[in-house]
Amino acid sequence: MLNHRVIPALLLKNGGLVKTHKFKDPKYVGDPINAIRIFNDKEVDELMVLDIVASKEGKEPDYRMIELFAGECFMPLCYGGGIRTMEQADRIFNMGVEKVSIQTAALEDLGLISEVADKYGSQAVVISVDIKRTLFGGTKLYRSATSDTDKENWKTFLTRAVDAGAGEVLINAVDKDGTLSGPDLELIREANNELDIPLIALGGVSSLEDIRLAVEAGASAVAVGAFFVFHGPHRAVLITYPKYEELENLFINEINGRQTK
Amino acid sequence: MKLMEDRLNRANKMRKMCSRCIMDTSAINIRFDENGVCNYCKEFLNRSGSMLNESAAVKEERLLRLVKKVKEVGKGKPYDCIVGVSGGVDSSWALVKVVELGLRPLAVHMDNGWNSELAQNNIANLINALGVDLYTHVIDWDEYRNLMQAFFDAHVIDVELLYDNAMLAVNYQMADKLNLKHILAGTNQSTEGMEIPSNWNWYKKDKKNIKAIAKQFGSVKISSFPAIGTIDYLKYDLIKKIKWISFLDNLEYHKESSLKHLEAHFGYKRYPYKHYESIFTRFYQGYILPEKFEVDKRKVHLSTLIISGQISRKQAIEIIEEIPYASKQELEDDKEYFLKKMGWTKKDLEQYIKHQNVEHSVYGTEIKIIQNLSRIKRQLKKIF
Amino acid sequence: MDNQIKIVDIGIGNIASIQNMLKKIGYDSDRIVEPTLKSSNIDLLILPGVGSYDYAMNKLNDGGWSDYVKELSSDKKVKLMGICLGMQLLCDGSEEGELPGLSLIPGHFKKFSSNGGAERLKVPHMGWNTVHYNEKGTWMMEGHIDDPRYYFVHSYYYTHPESTYIAGTTGYGVDYGSAIQNGNVFGFQFHPEKSHRFGMNLLRNVLKQLC
Repeated sequence: MLNHRVIPALLLKNGGLVKTHKFKDPKYVGDPINAIRIFNDKEVDELMVLDIVASKEGKEPDYRMIELFAGECFMPLCYGGGIRTMEQADRIFNMGVEKVSIQTAALEDLGLISEVADKYGSQAVVISVDIKRTLFGGTKLYRSATSDTDKENWKTFLTRAVDAGAGEVLINAVDKDGTLSGPDLELIREANNELDIPLIALGGVSSLEDIRLAVEAGASAVAVGAFFVFHGPHRAVLITYPKYEELENLFINEINGRQTK
Repeated sequence: MKLMEDRLNRANKMRKMCSRCIMDTSAINIRFDENGVCNYCKEFLNRSGSMLNESAAVKEERLLRLVKKVKEVGKGKPYDCIVGVSGGVDSSWALVKVVELGLRPLAVHMDNGWNSELAQNNIANLINALGVDLYTHVIDWDEYRNLMQAFFDAHVIDVELLYDNAMLAVNYQMADKLNLKHILAGTNQSTEGMEIPSNWNWYKKDKKNIKAIAKQFGSVKISSFPAIGTIDYLKYDLIKKIKWISFLDNLEYHKESSLKHLEAHFGYKRYPYKHYESIFTRFYQGYILPEKFEVDKRKVHLSTLIISGQISRKQAIEIIEEIPYASKQELEDDKEYFLKKMGWTKKDLEQYIKHQNVEHSVYGTEIKIIQNLSRIKRQLKKIF
Repeated sequence: MDNQIKIVDIGIGNIASIQNMLKKIGYDSDRIVEPTLKSSNIDLLILPGVGSYDYAMNKLNDGGWSDYVKELSSDKKVKLMGICLGMQLLCDGSEEGELPGLSLIPGHFKKFSSNGGAERLKVPHMGWNTVHYNEKGTWMMEGHIDDPRYYFVHSYYYTHPESTYIAGTTGYGVDYGSAIQNGNVFGFQFHPEKSHRFGMNLLRNVLKQLC
């Protein structure tokens, strides 16, 4: 039975784990190595680590940290943040990282995506897009490194990225980030209509039901931030992840309906 | 096969051991009477015997009085007490019982970057099942690591002083913030009542010592680390009247049956020994203490259990003949992780272990204040 | 007995993760960059693989690895393990490329059809899935009561007119061989090094097969 992947998404800032709110106000959450170790002990499906300042500040990925992370992961690890060249990607893959997530570099030039896909396979490249909603409910492509919107239509951008070789798409709903207010299901549906490749939805998940809804709306995998890291009214830092049986039961109707063996 | 290293086992066998418990000559000031019984278990019985042998009725009565008081103080407030949780069995049981008695606790947890998955899992299951709110204080990891490094460079025995002190501080601070008077803690006589030898530990409220070591070794700036000193404690205890209560002393506390209950009803996962909810604590007690300081804290834990009738001496001796890890591979795992977190090489660790140990009192300390306080308290007791 | 575990390092696979997992279960391993080591110095040779078929086969051919590996396999005391693309390289060939494989395990690889069945099958097959082992795969399954699950990521799957070499199967659109074996040569389509305790258990079972 193929389950839909549920992926803890961890945000990195200057070596520390942080959680943002609508991409702003990063709050310190703790030591990333320990958090990753705990998630690994919980046998999570996959893990995503995104450095939110590397591109902003034009910094190199923190290789030492990435290597430490990879050493703690006995499941696939995806790293994103500040990857602009093939050499950087090579170095990161060599450490045991499965996939790289690329945004800023791709917005300028999709060449890197093709290079990585050619050498490591499409499944090793995730194209990451941040989508912000306008006042009138429309959607715009958001550039997190420069905190502004891009003129290009995000759907055409995605199509170009997929053509260039991206094997997965990460859609991050900016307005939902850290709000625990439920995923942007309409956005997920829209994105799913455009794509043939797996879609990872990120932003707003607040419950197991939200994960199910995101999958129902077309996400192949769901990435989760605040829900797995905070607990309760005081947003107390507590690392959690659903039990395997809970995830199995969550998707059982999905699987039956789809007749996937 | 997970026997202790020959060297450590031989050292153990050369020491004289109490005939009733398993404390031995690695404990400072140990004395044996004509029957070979030591002063540690005697002192424990003297001090706590009455409590250990109390009737259930007496305990019950004291408990109900306490609960009534807590409810009074907490009336109209979002919570009526603080329960510090670590994921360990003592604090978990305390939380379960507190809720059972109709109290409305705020669970407080201290995150120093060494939480094990077991701890997170146990805390999560508990607070979800009990419907209890949680507050976590997260210490900046870089800052905490620097503090630990300072303690390692100082070669003092009680590296856990950092965690223990911070935990006390966070609990008191939270109680103060919420205007509560009761911290219902999992500390208790029946599993940890025996006095820890003074050469195995340091005074847990010694903020001055922490600051002195931090300053001398690496000029570590303290900001997210919550520290509590003797004067702070006195202010909380005597002026603000915030009381730290060993809650489990008011109940019939039998560790094994509590564990079974937690496992059955709260999805609790148990650990091999005490304090294994923190990866560092387990490495510290299982490797650093025995290897560098030749101290095995299990002796005092198990001796307490022997005297409170929860384990036999024979069982205790069998336990300490083995390494405090389920397997050698787990010890290696923890060692690797420790090196990774601290940024040390294997050689750094070897050198640390080999280096001569230094007394805490060599650095700035509040110990004189405590000793004077004890003396004053004793004199006052004599008079009244 | 000191297990001599060697991993072929020619830039076509994720070696760090394999070494990490082996270390976690208590075993050291070495990367080898040249096909020169004598078979007496190898107990287990691991062929990892990520990427495209021809790219990898070219690397094997050019570096002299193909002949080396074939010769090594004739020494029955040496066990050869292929992971993911590595498993595919052990067989006869793949739709993905033009070049023939090492032909150490009979079989050919076909691409998952994204048009078959009632629902569009997403390719690659990416995520966690279970392996059902048969009698041939009993040794691989040791330690599990239920079908274990592992992490898969591939677009091509094993086919062969008979099921002679299939030790375990997985379902994704079709039921296909995800664990195959031919004597001392075996392969796994999934990534044990990315499959938590399931992968660790499998590697332990592999190591038990040595000597």
